[in-house]
Amino acid sequence: MTSRTTTVLIGVNSLFAGLVIPVANAQRGSGPVKVVQLTGLVGVKDNAKGTLGVENGQLHFVHSKASSDLSASSIQDVVTAADSQRAVGGTIGLMSMAAPYGGGRVLSLFRTKIDTLTVQYRDADGGLHGAVFTMPVGTADVIKKELVAQGAHTIAPGEPTSAASSSSTPNKEQKQ
Amino acid sequence: MNRILSAGFRLSLFTLIFAAFPLLAQKSKPTKIKAAALQVEMIQSDEIKLPAEFQVALYENLIRQLEKNGFSLVYRDGDRNAASVANLVVLHSTVRGFKVGSERARQVTTVSGATSITVHCQFTSPDGTSLLEQDVNGKVRFFGSNLKATYDFAKKAAHVANKNFSTPGRE
Repeated sequence: MTSRTTTVLIGVNSLFAGLVIPVANAQRGSGPVKVVQLTGLVGVKDNAKGTLGVENGQLHFVHSKASSDLSASSIQDVVTAADSQRAVGGTIGLMSMAAPYGGGRVLSLFRTKIDTLTVQYRDADGGLHGAVFTMPVGTADVIKKELVAQGAHTIAPGEPTSAASSSSTPNKEQKQ
Repeated sequence: MNRILSAGFRLSLFTLIFAAFPLLAQKSKPTKIKAAALQVEMIQSDEIKLPAEFQVALYENLIRQLEKNGFSLVYRDGDRNAASVANLVVLHSTVRGFKVGSERARQVTTVSGATSITVHCQFTSPDGTSLLEQDVNGKVRFFGSNLKATYDFAKKAAHVANKNFSTPGRE
């Protein structure tokens, strides 16, 4: 009887911990987050891996011993969205396509959820730029909140778009 | 003798006609519009809901591809330096169609899950006079993420610009 109760308690605790820990990790504040810069930052190659953080009113992207800073006040719009990517990607993912009996296709079924963060900002001459990052689930909203708190602008969903800074995307659009 | 002369005359006439057609076709080749610089406006998507990352990727890829295609002066939306440029051409892009596919479906089935974007590109002078209008589409059918469709669009749009506009030092 005692052992059964203990087993049930351990099971319930494990379940609770499993639900709470990812949320807690996602809401963990302000530390640099591992991201992939898909496109847009000046002087940074596409698909560059690095860390992204918000410090002293700057969006700070560090990659391969170099860093790129973006003033929060220059940001016109910040949008977060949900996406997914192949769990097994890169060279191994590509090689797996040649696996016999459709083994590579089966691997394609396994996908991990990610967040995307899209920022639109203006340079010193007033030119509009955009940058897209992907990052672990739950981290994009934290960065967005920090950016907005430090002076970044954002356009509410449903607000009409303008030529200068436009985004009619509802937040958190789920796609594959 | 007359027959030989007549046959020779007909032969030379046919040769002349067939040779003249390609020459005439070359004459009718459209001339390129002169453009000192291009200014790319932000992609508009008022009618169609386009995710922000697609909008930004379309814009950034378009600028990059235009620069790669030999346009040395490409200004961004809102760039103050563009105001003083003579012979400036402004590129307005409006999303007319967007079908979001599925990368998973593409990889598993190969034949389904394509992503496609259709963008109406309008090249105008700074005062708004239309110089060229064309629909350009971008697709990803087999490999790559959905955002790869933006790269496909950018390459095609840059090709359209390259075909119809000439900048100084480049024909």
